[in-house]
This record gives sequence, C-alpha cells and structure tokens, in this order.
Amino acid sequence: MLAVLLLAALSSLPVLYVILRAQDAGWAYSAELLLRPRIFELLVNTLKLAAGATLLSCLIGVTTAWLVERSDLSYRKVWNAIVTLPFAVPAFISAYSWISVFPRLEGFYGAVLVLTFSNFPLVHLPVAAALRGMDPALEETSRSLGFGRIATFFKVVLPQLKVAILGGGILIALHMLAEFGALSFLNYETFTTAIFDQYYVAFNSAAAAMMTLVLLLLCMGMLFLEFLIRGRGYYATERKGSPGEIELVALGKWKPVALLFLVLLTIMAAGAPLGIITYWLLVGSSAALDLPDLLNTLQITLSFGLGGSVLAVIFALPLVFLAVRYQGKFATLADRIPYFIHSLPGIVVGLTLVFFAVRYAFVLYQTVPLLLIGYAMLFLPMAQSAIRAALVQVSRQLEEVALSLGKNALSVFMRITLPLIAPGVGAGLALVFLQIMKELTATLLLRPSGVDTLATKVWELTDNAQYAASAPYAAALILISGLPVYLLTMRSFTRSSKREKVFDG
Amino acid sequence: MTNGIKRFAKLSAAAIAAAMMMTAVPASADLVIYSGQHKSATIAMLEAFTEETGIKVNTREGSSNELAHQIVEEGKRSPADIIYTEESTPLIMLANKGLLEPISQAALDNIPKEYRAEDGSWVGLLARSRVLAYNKNMITEKELPTSVLDLVKPEWKNKFAFVKTSGAFQVQLSAMIKLEGRDAAKAWLEGLKKNGKVYRHNKAALDAVERGDIAFAMINNYYWDKMAREVGVDNLNSRLYFMGTHDLGDLVTVSGAAILKTSKNKEEAQAFMEFATGEKGQAILTEMSAQYPMNPKVGTKGLKPFSELTPPNGTLDLGEYSDGKAAIELLQEVGLL
Repeated sequence: MLAVLLLAALSSLPVLYVILRAQDAGWAYSAELLLRPRIFELLVNTLKLAAGATLLSCLIGVTTAWLVERSDLSYRKVWNAIVTLPFAVPAFISAYSWISVFPRLEGFYGAVLVLTFSNFPLVHLPVAAALRGMDPALEETSRSLGFGRIATFFKVVLPQLKVAILGGGILIALHMLAEFGALSFLNYETFTTAIFDQYYVAFNSAAAAMMTLVLLLLCMGMLFLEFLIRGRGYYATERKGSPGEIELVALGKWKPVALLFLVLLTIMAAGAPLGIITYWLLVGSSAALDLPDLLNTLQITLSFGLGGSVLAVIFALPLVFLAVRYQGKFATLADRIPYFIHSLPGIVVGLTLVFFAVRYAFVLYQTVPLLLIGYAMLFLPMAQSAIRAALVQVSRQLEEVALSLGKNALSVFMRITLPLIAPGVGAGLALVFLQIMKELTATLLLRPSGVDTLATKVWELTDNAQYAASAPYAAALILISGLPVYLLTMRSFTRSSKREKVFDG
Repeated sequence: MTNGIKRFAKLSAAAIAAAMMMTAVPASADLVIYSGQHKSATIAMLEAFTEETGIKVNTREGSSNELAHQIVEEGKRSPADIIYTEESTPLIMLANKGLLEPISQAALDNIPKEYRAEDGSWVGLLARSRVLAYNKNMITEKELPTSVLDLVKPEWKNKFAFVKTSGAFQVQLSAMIKLEGRDAAKAWLEGLKKNGKVYRHNKAALDAVERGDIAFAMINNYYWDKMAREVGVDNLNSRLYFMGTHDLGDLVTVSGAAILKTSKNKEEAQAFMEFATGEKGQAILTEMSAQYPMNPKVGTKGLKPFSELTPPNGTLDLGEYSDGKAAIELLQEVGLL
C-alpha cells in the first residue's frame, strides 16, 4: 500500500511541476507563453510527425507481417527475424548514422523515414502474431461465398487485425511524442526538442513548463485512446476452436517485387545504420580509441542499468500484485499511472525531478539514487507487464492453501508467489535494464557531475560531429542494449505463438 | 514469517548497494567546475592544472546558459565552485544576482581591463569573432553582404544559416538590441527567421556550408579555424569572411570564468583562476580550441591577428542587455524558442 501511494505521488510530480512553475512565473505570463503561435507551430509539427511515421509504419508493418505469415515466400522464418532487426539499433543512433553520411536527410521527410525504419517492427510483430492466431475458417467461408482474395483481405482479415495495428500504431505515436535524440540529428522540431532547447538556453524555464503541459495532454489523450482500444478489443482476438491449415497465398509474378521490397527495407532499416557505424569504426583511426574511458563508461552504464532495473522491479511487484489479486478501482488506477509517466520524454521526468530535488530534497540532487528513481519512473511499465504475465499464470489455489495453513499474506507472497513468478521478474529486470542503457535526456539532467554513460558520450561526441570518435561508444551501445532487446522481443513473440499451439492442441 | 521479507529486503539492498559501488563516480574532487566551453580544450587545461597543483577537478558539462541558470536554481547549495562559460552573458547574469566571488588580483592582472568585470566578479579567458563562413564555390567574397543587418533583405532568402540556440548568436542579438533598439532588433530577428535556415549546432551549420547545402552561415571563427588546422585550408570549400567595417557581424564575444560565492573551496578556485589566466593555461586553451587568448603574452597561430579584428564599437560592455535576458525573451517572442 505504501509503495502504491509513494508511486502515485511520484507519478503526479510532472503535473505538479508544471503547476508550480506556472505559479512561479505568474499565471498571466504563463498563459501568454502557452497561447503563443510557437506552441501551435510545434503542435502541428509534432502531430504531423506522429501521423506520418505511424501511418507509414502501419503500411510497412502490415505488409511485412502478411508476407512473412501468409505468402509463399521462401525462408519466411528467416525473414521474420530479419525484418525485426531494426530493434537492435536505438533510434538516435540510427538517425545519427544516417545524418553522418546523408546530411540532406534532415527535415520532415527524413524524420518520418528514419523513425519509421526504426519503429515499424512495433506494428509488424503484433500483426504477425494476430495473423498467426487467426481462425482460417473465417477466410475460407468468405472465399466460399465468392469473394476474391483481395476482397477477403479487406473485409475479413483486416478487421481482425484492427486491434493489433492500432495497438502498435499508438505505441509508435507515443514514441514520436517522446523522441528527442533522433529528431535533434534530423533537425526537426517537436515539443520534446523545443523543451530541450529551452533547457539549453535557460535550464528550467516557465516556457519549458508550458510546453510540457501541452505534451502531458497529448500523452494523456494518446493513452486514453489506447485504453479504449484495449478495453474493447483484446478479448476478441483470443482464439476459440482449432485452426485448420492456413492456406498460403502464391505470389506468382509478384514474388520478385516482394523480395525486392524486403531486401530494400532491410538495407535501409538495419543494414545502413549498422554498416555506417562499422564504417566509422574502421575509419576511426583519426580518433584514437580511448579504451580505458570506453570501459569505464561501459561499467558506469551497466551499474546504472542494474540499480535502476532492481528499483523498478521493487516498485512493480506490489503494484502488479494489487492489480491482479485485488482488482479494485484503486489498484487498477495505480497500475495504470506508470504508463502515463512512461509515455513522457526523459527530459520531462528529468526536469521534474531536478525541480523537486533542488527545492525539497537537496541531498539527492545530482546523486545516483535520484537518477535511479528517474529510471524506475520512466521504465516501470516494462517491469509491470513482464511480472503481470507471470503472475496471472500462478494458481490462486496454491496461495489460498498456504493462507489456510496459517501463513500471513506477505509470507505467502514471499515463499509461494515470488519463486513462481521469478521468470517474469527476470524478464522485467532485463527489459528495464536494456531501456536504461540507451536512455539519454533524463540521464543528462540527473547524473552526478563528471559521469558519462554510453548514450551521453555518443550524444556529446556526435554533437560536435566527431562521428569516428563516437563510433566505439555507439557500437558498444548496440552490442549491450540493441542486440539483447532484439533477442528478447523475438523470443517473447515466438514463445507466445508456441504456447497458443499447445493450448489448441 | 519475516524470513522471506528479510531475505527479499536484503537481496534488494544488496543489489542496489552493488550497483552503487560499481558506479565509478569520480572520487571526491577538490573543485567542481560547471563548464559550457568545448570539452577537449577544457579537459586538456584541467589536466595540466591538476598536474601542476595537485588539485583534483570534476566537471559538469552543459551549455553555458543552461549551467548558469542551473546555478541560480540551485541557489545557496550549488555544488559548483567555478563556472566557465562560452560567453560573458551568463557570468554577468550571475554577477547581477550577487552570486559571484571576487577573483584574486593575481589572476585579474593577467587579463586586460576591458575583458573582465570591473569589480573582479568574472574574468575573460578567450575571445572569438562572429564571422560568416561561406562556400567559395557558391558565392564570392565580393557578393557577400557588407552588414549582417542586410540579411533580412529578400535577396538573401534561403542563402544563409544561423544557430538560434548558440550563445554567441544570442550575444549578437543582445548587441543589436543595445545598438539599434528593441524594435529594430525584433524586426531583424523576424527577418532572419524568414530568410535563414536554422541549424541546431554551429558545427552542423558549418558542415552544411562546406558541403554546399547553403551558401554561408553565421558562426564563430574557431569552428572553421579548427577544421582548417585539421584538414588544411586547401582541402576546404569554405572560407571565413570578416566584414571589416565594425559591423555587428564582426562582433567579438568573450568567454570567461567566475567563482561562486557559495564555493567551499575558494582557495583552490583562486588557484584555478590564476592558472587559467596564466601563460600556461592560456596557451593550452588557445592551441586546443583556436580561440584568441585574453592574456596578451600568449600568441595565436594561424588565426587572423586579434589586433586586426574590427568589432562594432560599444559592444564590449552591453550594459543592461549584457545578461542576455532580453535576447532570450525576443527569441521567444518571435517564436524561435
């Protein structure tokens, strides 16, 4: 309970921060800052990017998912793995690698393109899973009623994919609201980059707080949309009855086109960034590699990841337990709040924590514990979902038996539940850990003086266009965060499909 | 019953403690410097300083304006002993708020009077000139404007770039407000917004000129001088253009440092000031950053001689605009920030 209250308090901090800042600056002046044309311009920019990248990602993601699941393409399993490779490259590294070689890519179109390349797997994966889980009888019925393949796709298949597409799409739109590093390299302005500019010229100004307010509203709106879709859709996708063999569609003369599309996509989305980083690594002789510094930075990054992920799991356990076992309104709300924080850019969480630490908790200011709290706030939902997935599978009867034997609830949790959900806890730790590895803006604000993580180092060096010097740090970042993220996502998706098969069998 | 909880608590505590211990946060330093200056030159100077005095230094990097405002927000408990900024504006802002400690006479004496605060609250370390960097394949020196005030004219539309978040650009704007008045400065800024392309970093703007994406850019001299040193002038498409007419475009901005009143390590801080203004410190800074040393005993290599620069008159002291606040307000008003 205490943990839940503490969490609710932490979560309301960004809102409180905006209000206090506005009060400091005077309500009239704050309103003036909020209602100027610049805010409107940023709003248009932000929404334009979110819409563009989301739509393009959905188009590409649905196409790749269909090709991988439903066409007669050879090596479809391999393609499925290749298509999700972009997960291995953090978006800001992908953007900087593109810009270091093709500077003309900057602006709206470049931003849409580069961010689509690094985000479309978020649509591909759920859509592919939905296609796999779909009952083919429906399609067969449609075909038997005389509808062609194309008509069947639009009338029968696509409606069933709606939830998967919308879910992935909203996730991407949220990413677009919070993206900073990539957009900075691509020279495209959104609320998040504008807040960073404000921070750059005035550290923590009322103008930044007012921009944050609009961003908070946008994130809330997006989350509400997600809530609506989840509420309506999720159960509908649960499969009943046993599926027959899914008939694969022969591509015929379109096969070369489909192959060309996949090859080009792979080159653009994963090949180019990885290739460019390798290129800078190889030409990096101009910038002598400072190995001790690289190792030191790596050690710091790993230790932050460890501390932050443990803290996130400690916060997540009581939250998930409450939400799953005592499904009250309060528990549900407490369970959902972290998702709101998660949708915020790191810079907002950073500014908020700095604001409150300076005023009310100076001992924490510029210390590792505050940074770890920031990480835990930002990435809590990843620990929650992993733990929840494990907890819902733990039979309640086991706990009840233990309770009936006279153990109290906490002890039952420690001795029965916790060991059973250990895999979920482990997955949660890993997911949060990997997110922390590549976090940039909150780290810039909250870190102790003189401390660099791999991400801040890459940022600092590329900021001065020292691409070759930054390459070893970028490569290290891909190796310790990108690749594991990639493997984890792939594993979780292939595993869930297997489990479905077992249930159906 | 408490067994489980204890074990859980112990485990979590151990994990967090392990994380803390692994964190190689630099061991307690004798001095904390908030530095907005270019890192490589600063670090080189600090290493020499530590070697000579044994005083260990920890730096927090950021933009100059950001760090100065951060100190204001931190108030009395600021961990910073020294702030070292790219322009003098953030220092003057802090001095106006009474947050700075007078610098020792020994350090002040190293630097000519006009490049330091009268009351000794801050001291200039390096200077640089605003310039136009142009692509010689796209435009000739003769065709370039003779004043940056002309950039708002229609013929310069989409021809040039500027960096709105650059501190030096903001000083230029402050100087404009002082010289021509706020209304004229606002009209000028609106014209720049309309005609110019905005880049986020000076180096990015210079790279765009070098590639031929844009004909010229308003930057500081040293970005180009540093690049010219590294690759050789003959291999570059870009050149520097000084207007030579005491125009706003040739504004000289002063980078400096100050000691915080709240510093608990004032002795070490004063030692740093003496080193940074002294010949050794100044030589390292100049060598590494291609900026002009403020200590007249230290020479420059390859730069246009400091005595030949033609900054606009009356801009060494920007008076009430020297804290840069009006410039930022104008940037917000015009919708650039």
